[in-house]
Amino acid sequence: MAVLSEPIKEKMTLKNFIDGEWVDSKSNRMQDIVNPAKQQTIGQVPMSTKDDVDAAVAAAKEAFPDWRRTTPLARVRCLFRLKELLEENFERLSRIQSMEHGKTIDESRGETRRGIEMVEVATGIPSLMQGYNLEDIASGIDEYVIYQPKGVFCHIAPFNFPFMVPLWFIPFALATGNTFVNKPSPRDPISQYALAELVEEAGVPPGVYNVVQGGADAAKALMTHPDVEGVTFVGTSSVGREIYRTCGEQGKRAIVQGAAKNFMVVMPDADVDATIRALMTSFYGNTGQRCLSGANLVIVGKEEAFYKSFRDRFVEAASRIRMGYGLDESIQMGPMQAVDGKERVLGYIEKGLEEGADLILDGRKPEIQGDFPDTCFVGPSVFENVSPDMTIAREEIFGPVASVLRAADLDAAIDMVNASDYGNGNAIFTSSGKAAREYQYRVESGNVGINIGIVAPMAFFPFSGMKSSFFGVLHGQGRDAVRFFTESKVVIQRWFS
Amino acid sequence: MRLNTASEVISLSRRLEEEGAEVYEKLAQRRPDDAESLGAFARENRRFVTQVERAYYGVISDALEGGFAFDLEADDFEIGTDTAGAVAGGDAKAAVAMEERMIRFYEEAAEQSQSLMADLPRAFRLVVKKRRRRLESLSALS
Repeated sequence: MAVLSEPIKEKMTLKNFIDGEWVDSKSNRMQDIVNPAKQQTIGQVPMSTKDDVDAAVAAAKEAFPDWRRTTPLARVRCLFRLKELLEENFERLSRIQSMEHGKTIDESRGETRRGIEMVEVATGIPSLMQGYNLEDIASGIDEYVIYQPKGVFCHIAPFNFPFMVPLWFIPFALATGNTFVNKPSPRDPISQYALAELVEEAGVPPGVYNVVQGGADAAKALMTHPDVEGVTFVGTSSVGREIYRTCGEQGKRAIVQGAAKNFMVVMPDADVDATIRALMTSFYGNTGQRCLSGANLVIVGKEEAFYKSFRDRFVEAASRIRMGYGLDESIQMGPMQAVDGKERVLGYIEKGLEEGADLILDGRKPEIQGDFPDTCFVGPSVFENVSPDMTIAREEIFGPVASVLRAADLDAAIDMVNASDYGNGNAIFTSSGKAAREYQYRVESGNVGINIGIVAPMAFFPFSGMKSSFFGVLHGQGRDAVRFFTESKVVIQRWFS
Repeated sequence: MRLNTASEVISLSRRLEEEGAEVYEKLAQRRPDDAESLGAFARENRRFVTQVERAYYGVISDALEGGFAFDLEADDFEIGTDTAGAVAGGDAKAAVAMEERMIRFYEEAAEQSQSLMADLPRAFRLVVKKRRRRLESLSALS
């Protein structure tokens, strides 16, 4: 089958986008952007300094008053133009993601589509942002609430969904009248670079949207900047906890989405064929580098025959997954995004073996379709005889490793899920409405799947999370995002003449 | 070759429709009396591509089973040089056989893509429905 053409032909040198201008960073420090499948450097990104961040925040702060006064309709017209430009560039944006991240082309297109959906939903701001009122709270006195933008917000982006995740926030922030500074992951910032070009082309005024490239230094400068009203972050829980604490100390709003350890609970009455397909996407989609990925497969029931047959079907399906370069259309799983990710996964596999689990599908020597170095590749792996206290059952591996656990019944399965430190995207597979309802009711998880392996909320619903998977009150996407990016101003009025 | 990913299936659909369109254009040259309807088939083939791609790009999601939904044998649906040559040479029965093969492709693709939201299987089934109407016209040619 066809290997699709690459949109990045020459090595790129990225710049910052500040106040409507593409400018060099003040830093001389550059980091390579590497296509993980080919191990080819496709660009360089500057590791911006505090001065770069200061310039971006200053531009955003200066642009805020005018942008706030721009009518909501005029603001969303920019988003309508952006949506059209995103559609026109759909395939290019998707292929860039496969090059910079390694994901398959179907996954990249799915990511692009999800990103566009955020823009589409945010175009509803003239309705979504409306406040509410009540006449005669006392005789002749009315009360109403107005949602007002707050100022400069920022995003510190993860590497696993380089295009989509920043869009959980950017369109909502801009549509509500705020200005924004985005810091993409330095590992795969090219699709965000392309997005910024389209934002500029869509006619968003200078300073309203800014991009600062870089790593931890730029992130720290952004989140501690006194003129930044709020921070959005998606990444690890350890960093997220620190960001949330810092934001709390400084009185900033924060949406902090952290790590996960998701349980896929399979009941004996599950539709096996459909469940297996859903679980392949769940455990091995995006090479397991997703906060909604399945990690622990809990097969419920005491019956040995069902356990063995389901386990065998799962392993058989996983063993057939084709690995290679994401721009090859036949590929079902790409490489890890970087070498350190692969090393982390291999470390967890070693740990699982040390702690006594059985590795029944070993992805350490993956078969790769095409002539590509195995530097970042690790194949689908499955551990059996895993107990909930083992490291591989508790910690986020963030790679294509499934741990198979057993639970005697639904109660035991729910207890297992709820004992986790995390609560992000847990699912049940069953044909029983009663079991599904019970699971939904009791499980401590921000997003719950019923016969859905990747519980990714649509743009008009909040992307939830619980326990160590989320720090904050309001979430990204949908009405939560509108509330996060606005302040409630309550007016009580009485007229004497 | 077995096809498992949505991207592969959409690419195969695109290629088959284009090959089919070219065959009808050649057949139209051979049968001037039927040129109008045969030309319409060719144009319709290309519209099918647009409709199917629109459905795919509209619903493709990182969260659904795009990489794992299908298990189709591409060779079962290839038009092949013999069939293409026969149709282009004026053999209407070969055209019917080609259409029946395409119908099978879309029927199987529709069945297997149920998990990819309604739009994609609906687009596939729409192509099947329109193709079935063609069969009558093609049979009349022979």
